[in-house]
Parts: sequence; C-alpha cells; structure tokens
Amino acid sequence: MVKLSVIRKKLDRSGFTSVRAEEFNGGVRLSGELDNWEDILECGRLAVDKKHSRGVINDIALKGYTPPPPRMPALTDKALEGKTPDVLVIGGGIVGAAIARELTKLKISVLLVEKEYDVATGQSARNDGMIHAGIDIKPSSNKVKYNVRGNKLYDKLSRELDVPIERPGQLVLYTAPWQKLLYPAIKLRGALNGIPVYPVSDKKAKEFVEVPGLRFGGFMCPSAGVVSPYLMTVALAENAVVNGAEICLNTAVIGIHSNNNHIEYVDTNRGRIYPEVVVNAAGVFSDKIAEMAGDRHFTIHPRRGVEAVLDKTAFKKAKCVVGKFVISGSSGKGHTKGGGVIVTIDHNLLIGPSAHETPERENEATSAEEFEEVFDKQRLLVPKLERGDIITYFAGTRAATYEEEFVVEKSPVTDNFIQAAGIQSPGVTAAPAIAEDVRMWVKECLSAEDNPDFNPIRKGIPVVRELGESERAALIKENPDFGEVVCRCEQVTKGEILSALSSPLPVDSVDAVKRRVRAGMGRCQGGFCQPLVVQIISEKLGIPPEKVTKKGAGSEVAPYIKEGSK
Amino acid sequence: MRYDVIIIGGGPAGLGVAIKASERGKRALIIEREKRLGGILKQCVHDGFGLLRFGEKLTGPEYAHRDVVTALGMGAEALTGSFVISITKKEGEYFVATTSERGLRSDSAPALVFATGCRERTARQVNIHGTRPAGVLTAGSCQHLVNLKGLLPGKKAVILGSGDIGLIMARRLTLEGAEVAGVFEAKGEPGGLQRNIRQCLDDYGIPLRMKTTVVEVYGDKRVEAVRVAPVDDDMRPVSAGEIIPCDLLVVSVGLIPENELQTSLGLTLENGTRGVAVDQYMMCVDREGVYVVGNALHVHDLVDFVTEGAMTAGSDLGSGRERQLIKIDTKNLSYIVPQYFDVSAPAQKSVFYMRSPRSMRRGVLKVFADGVEVLKKRLVNVRPPEMIRLECAVAPVDSLEITLEEESV
Repeated sequence: MVKLSVIRKKLDRSGFTSVRAEEFNGGVRLSGELDNWEDILECGRLAVDKKHSRGVINDIALKGYTPPPPRMPALTDKALEGKTPDVLVIGGGIVGAAIARELTKLKISVLLVEKEYDVATGQSARNDGMIHAGIDIKPSSNKVKYNVRGNKLYDKLSRELDVPIERPGQLVLYTAPWQKLLYPAIKLRGALNGIPVYPVSDKKAKEFVEVPGLRFGGFMCPSAGVVSPYLMTVALAENAVVNGAEICLNTAVIGIHSNNNHIEYVDTNRGRIYPEVVVNAAGVFSDKIAEMAGDRHFTIHPRRGVEAVLDKTAFKKAKCVVGKFVISGSSGKGHTKGGGVIVTIDHNLLIGPSAHETPERENEATSAEEFEEVFDKQRLLVPKLERGDIITYFAGTRAATYEEEFVVEKSPVTDNFIQAAGIQSPGVTAAPAIAEDVRMWVKECLSAEDNPDFNPIRKGIPVVRELGESERAALIKENPDFGEVVCRCEQVTKGEILSALSSPLPVDSVDAVKRRVRAGMGRCQGGFCQPLVVQIISEKLGIPPEKVTKKGAGSEVAPYIKEGSK
Repeated sequence: MRYDVIIIGGGPAGLGVAIKASERGKRALIIEREKRLGGILKQCVHDGFGLLRFGEKLTGPEYAHRDVVTALGMGAEALTGSFVISITKKEGEYFVATTSERGLRSDSAPALVFATGCRERTARQVNIHGTRPAGVLTAGSCQHLVNLKGLLPGKKAVILGSGDIGLIMARRLTLEGAEVAGVFEAKGEPGGLQRNIRQCLDDYGIPLRMKTTVVEVYGDKRVEAVRVAPVDDDMRPVSAGEIIPCDLLVVSVGLIPENELQTSLGLTLENGTRGVAVDQYMMCVDREGVYVVGNALHVHDLVDFVTEGAMTAGSDLGSGRERQLIKIDTKNLSYIVPQYFDVSAPAQKSVFYMRSPRSMRRGVLKVFADGVEVLKKRLVNVRPPEMIRLECAVAPVDSLEITLEEESV
C-alpha cells in the first residue's frame, strides 16, 4: 500500500503544499504546477518509496513551458499496415536491439520499430562505452543484478558478434587518505555481488596513469571493460535481422490500443500493427509508451550528460578507466557516478560525463558551461589532459526514473506488455542480461519453442588498419576497394564503407557509416572524407549526391546543385 | 623499388622537391593518397597563384598542372591512390609501405621528404557549442563540395574566420548564388591577406565583423541559425550576442600541419609552427636525411613560397653534409623557419621565413652573424597573416640572430 500521508508530509515540509499527491496504478501520482524544474524534480524525489509504491508518476507542470513534441520521422506510409508479428519491440537502442536478437532464439516473428534513421542514435551512441564492473551501484537493485550478469555475458557476445571488447579495468582513486579505511567494506560489497576488486597503492597507480591527480591510492576493478556501444548495438541488430527479425527505421509509435488490459494494436506513422506481445525499450520515451500501454508507474526525467573525445595521441596519459571515489549521499540528487577518464575501445580518451537535469528529452546540444564542468572536473583526475587534445564533444540524455532504477518487468497490469524501461547507465552493460529475461517472459507468454536455426555468429566488417600484412594483401587482392584509404585519420578504406552500406541492416547516411566503420571520427572530424563518403553513398545506393544525408531525411549534406552543374 | 628519395605528398611541396631532385638526376618517388597529383590546389579554382614565381595569375589547378608536367617529364615517378601505412628505418635506408587498390607495396630510399600538407581546425576545436546538424563545414570541405562536386551546401551562409580560405569561400558562395550573411573574426585583426579582403569581401559588399565569434549552432537536422557574440582579447564572449538565421556555417579557423607520420617516427614538434625543426635546407634537425616541406612544416599563405622551400630541400638531397647546427636566435618574431642553421654548409644565399607577432606600420628586420649586423631591411605594413621572406647570404660561425623591431612613423 502506498503511504500517501508520509509523502504528503514530506512535500508539505518542503513547502510544496500546492502539489497534489494521489495513488495511481500502484504508485504515487503528483500533479499541479510549479515555477521551476528543480522544484518539480525535488517533489519527484520526495515521493520515492520503493518499498510501498511501484513508482513516482510526476505530472507536475512547469509553468509557462510546453514540452517540444518528439522528433518524428518525415515519412508516412502504410508499409506496416496489418502486420501481425508475435512480438513488437519499440526502440532501437542497445536494449531493444539486444532484445530483438535474443527473441530470434525463439521460433517467433519479431518486429523492431525505431523512430530515428538508424539504430543507436540516442543514449546508446551517446555514452562512454563502459562495461561497468558494478562496484559503484547500490547492492540488491535491478541495476546491479543486470550489470553483473551483463558484464559476464560480454566476452561471449564479443566473440559471437565480432565486436571487440577490452577489459583494461577501472581504477578508482581515493580523494582523501582516510578513504583507505573503507576498503574492507568495498571488498565485501564486491564479494556480495561477485565483483572482483583489489587495492592499488599510489605507487602502483602510476602504472595505469601517467600522472595521477590524486595521490592517496585506490582500488582496481579488473572486470571493467570497454566496447563501442554503437557498434555493439548495430551488431546485435544485424544479427537479429539475419536470424529473421524485421527492423523498421523511421517508424514511430503514435498510439497503442488496449482492451481489457490487453494490447490489441499499435499505431505507427507506417500503419497499424497487431502484435501478440509488445516490449517497451523506448529509452527517454519509455514512460510515454508505458502510458499508451496502460501501465504507467514511473516517470522519465531526462538527464543530459556531456562527454569530450580526445585525440588518440593522448592515449598514453591513461591506460585504464580512471574514476574517483564518490560516497553517494542519501539526498538522491545528482545521480552520477562522477564520471572519469575512459580509454575507449578505439584508444581515444573520453572524459565525462556531466549531469544536467532538463525537461527536454531530445535536446542533445552541448553548452560551454556543461563542457567546462566536464573538463575541469576530470583534469583533477588526470592533470595532463590538455584542451588541444580535444577533437570533439557530444551530449546524450539519460532515461532516469525518480527511483533511479531500471524498470524491467512483465507488466502485472497489461497482460501482453513487457517493459525494459528507465534504462540509463549501466544500460550498455546490462542490456544482454535484460534481453535474456525478456526472452524468458516472451517464451512463457507465447509458449514459444526454441529456434533450432538461430545462428549467433555475425562476421563484422574487416578493420583493415588492424590486419597483418599478408591478411591485408590477400583482402585487397580479393577486393581492391580494401586497398583504397578514404578516411585518412582513422585509415578507413572504401571497402569498409561499401560493406557498411550493404550490411544486413541497410543504412544510407554519413553518420550511420561513421558509427559502423569510423570514417570521420578522427582528428579532422570528416573535413577531408565527408565529401568522399557522400560520393560513395551516392554511387553505391544510386541516390543523387544532393540527396545524401548526414543523419536522415532533412539533413542533406549539400542539398542544392550548383548553377551550371546540372 | 629503391629510389634516391621518397616524397610523401604530391601537392605543390612534394612536386617542388621532385622537380629539383629530378633536375639533379636523382630518382624520386612521389606517394600521393589521392588519385591525382596537385594536392589541395585542385580545388582552388580562384586565381592569384604563381604571381611571384611565374609573374602570372594562375588558378590552383593551373599552377599544379605546370609542376605535374615538369616533375613527371623530368622522370619523377608517382604512386597515386596510395596511402602510407608504415615507415621503418634499416641501416640508413627508409622503407615506406603503402596500400592502394593495387595491393601493398614497399619502397625504399636513403632520403625521405614529408610534404603531407595540413588539415583544418574544426568547429568543435574552437569551442562552438549547440547541436550537430548538417550544414556545419570547414571551409576546405565546403570548397571541395562546391568546386569539385558541383554541389551547394546551403543558400544562406555565415562564415567564421577571416583566413584566406574563409574569405575565398565567402566570394565563391556568393558567386554560386548563396547569400553570405557575414564573415566573423574572433581576433582583432583579419587573418587573411589584404588583397583577399578587398577582392573577396569589399567587392561583393560582404560585411566583416571583428572581435566576434560564433558560439552556438541551432537546428536539429540542418543548421537553422547560429548565435554570434562579441568576445574579449582572450576570445571569451562578453555578451549573449545575437542569433543569425542561416542554413550553412563555414568555419575557417586555422590550419594544423599534418604531422602524425612525423611524430610516429619520434620527431618532435615546435610550438610556434606545429611542424618539426629544420635547418636551412629543410632537413630535420634531429633526423639526417629526413626533410619536411610545405604546409606540413609551417602553414604558408602563398604557394610560391611553398615551392621555393621545397626546391631548397630538393637541391640538398644526398649532399651528405656533416652538419654543425646552431639555433637561430630571434627577437620579436612569432616563429622562424628554419629554426637552425648548418654552419658547415658552404656560404650561399639562404632564405628565412617568419611571421610577426603583431601588426606594425613600419618595421626593421636585422640579421646578426656572430654578433655583427650583416643585413638590415625595412618593412612596411607588417601583419601576422602575411609571411615575411628574407633572403640573405650569411656564413656565421657561432651565432645567428634575426630581430624585428617596430619603427615609429
């Protein structure tokens, strides 16, 4: 039973007397209107009661603010009209893609819809790519459960899908000498959750970081790793497609019709779909999908994070992930693990993220303030970081709930609805484990048989720059396009770009190519290769060059033909 | 194959070395990653190239064409569409491995020339925030799309940076039918040549606003507007500024020598130029037989000087000098190339390239050899964007100093 009176008292004590609190769908619904976003967030936090409530539904309006409508695909057609997949997965981030692949292990039909022009365009591309150890996550939470299980699944996944991972470990540095005394507690926490950890002296820390900014030692979590989160998402999606799943990009869910707590059909911009089961993996919009499906018991309050990418030449400054020891307070505020300096799988250094609460779910713009915050904070950790090493920066929005917990469940309300919602960090790590549980529920739901033809193996696009001489020579002999370097900074060949364009999940944009083969991800940021990539896309797919986009319809790189060139 | 010299980069710098080396009977191999020789000149369809060298106003492709014909005519070989993947040194010989659609290949030579050019600084590297839509391009990338691909990336442009490429693109976009809302420059002085400001902006009525920069980009799929704001001397915005609607932001905010291959060989870079340190023949100070020329050494404003420096290197290849290097002292210069002087070389005319740290109506350049003034040259309208070239026959023993002083008018 929700303890409304307790929550009421908390709200009143903080001066939020105008805010209404009521029981709704096993959770607490807040309503009313307040003047600033921080107050609305504070009310949401005050209403958290994980023991007695399913969650906080925060409907308090921000005075004078109308949320922008979600970014919608430009096209409308009837391509999916009348489709009857066994399972409809909503959302093509790493969670949705992992679920789609996992579901192809069953003898069922799977359709995944994604409203953007590619998979992995939201949080799944906009994070640091860490395979977290999980030491910093609260024990006995969904987060830690899926994190630890997911971490262990990554080696197999990496082998099967031909997506490289590394486990350089995460070095956590103490910020004060007395924190050393807490090590036994950390070790115990590790033991309880099955996370290996060992102490690191200040002297030993220098083996991992050229010049550590903090000189009190720390501890190492050797199971922490790194992966390209977008490449992993693409690989999961491609393998799902090869195993029979259908993935429809540029497809947005606009309504869900239920009858008697049972979803009957789902409306999209591309027609009405009649699935047996619906899976919500809609990221920052997962509460909206939950509402459409009739089981809303949580609220996403978007939290933007900014990360900066440093040139590969900065790699020598840190050889593992470096973070600082943060003792999480009880206020529930500022849920960030403090970020750090991450050595990416491609051996760039990445610093961040910041944490900035915002009512805007899709505002991925960076600001000077948030960027400065990131840079200054992490330079304390690794003092040798230099501004001149920064090649780019980006922002992403985390799908945080007020409980700061994953919502992974078979809905107890809507009988053919499964949620993998409110997934933020460590979502990349957790995704494979979440997907396993979703498969189990779907199997039960549909009494589905296992798919004996499931092929877990995906052959990735060859990374030519990493091949040995004889292998490289043989590949060029077989296909001369692998000899021609197009992106000079990352040494990406024409053959790799063409392979990306003819992969099982067809793509046609410059950014989609970039995520798959890294063309344009180096220090010149596509200055040299972008016009060449546009030409290759145009020639390969038969699209006129002026129609080739950076990231889907409306983002043409050079939308006009010059007078006289027609 | 074995050559006398391997030249990495087939732009004007590489071609200059090849011409001079071939003239002297050396077997030269040019390695070029693009399908055609000529480097960035192939997309520079405006004129003004070769004024000093040929006394003619050529377009970029014309200038390049002359050198390509000469170099190949004299027997230089070129490997086009070839990308260097590794350089190793064995017993005084440099082995250069390349990849191309023809396969992998290795060539060697006792001398190696880096003529690898430069790259452009990007919008993100000058602290521009906001979204990342289509329509944010570096000037060179924009030039490529317009001049080589026949495309127009936008109809209303804002240009950041008053360097030469920015100015030239302002004119080009105007000529191709786009509207240029303005050229903005964060510094207090224009970054390009005076003649380009007149011919590219003034002649077309394009406004140039100094001490103003672009701070933020708006738009989801395509650029919809940018925010420009006035900045202080440290280039920090002093007010919120204003929003200018546009569909294209062209950034021309500086060039960086491409020196990743050089640093992979363990060569260190100079702070002033971001290229390596060389002697008066463009030979690396810390590596015998390795030369760096053109924009890979320091960013030039005139191709004529690129060719001149390259030919100096070409004339020295295989000379086998027993070098005795002294560092050239400078006063009041932001940089000088060469940074070192080989005093063992026979006394002959040397050329020094340098930039002033600030503008001066009048300046005096002096050269001191072993403490004795050997040359004094008066300069008018000295500006940091315009490289100073000094020719001087000098034979110092212990010290060489070059100074620039401002003269009161």
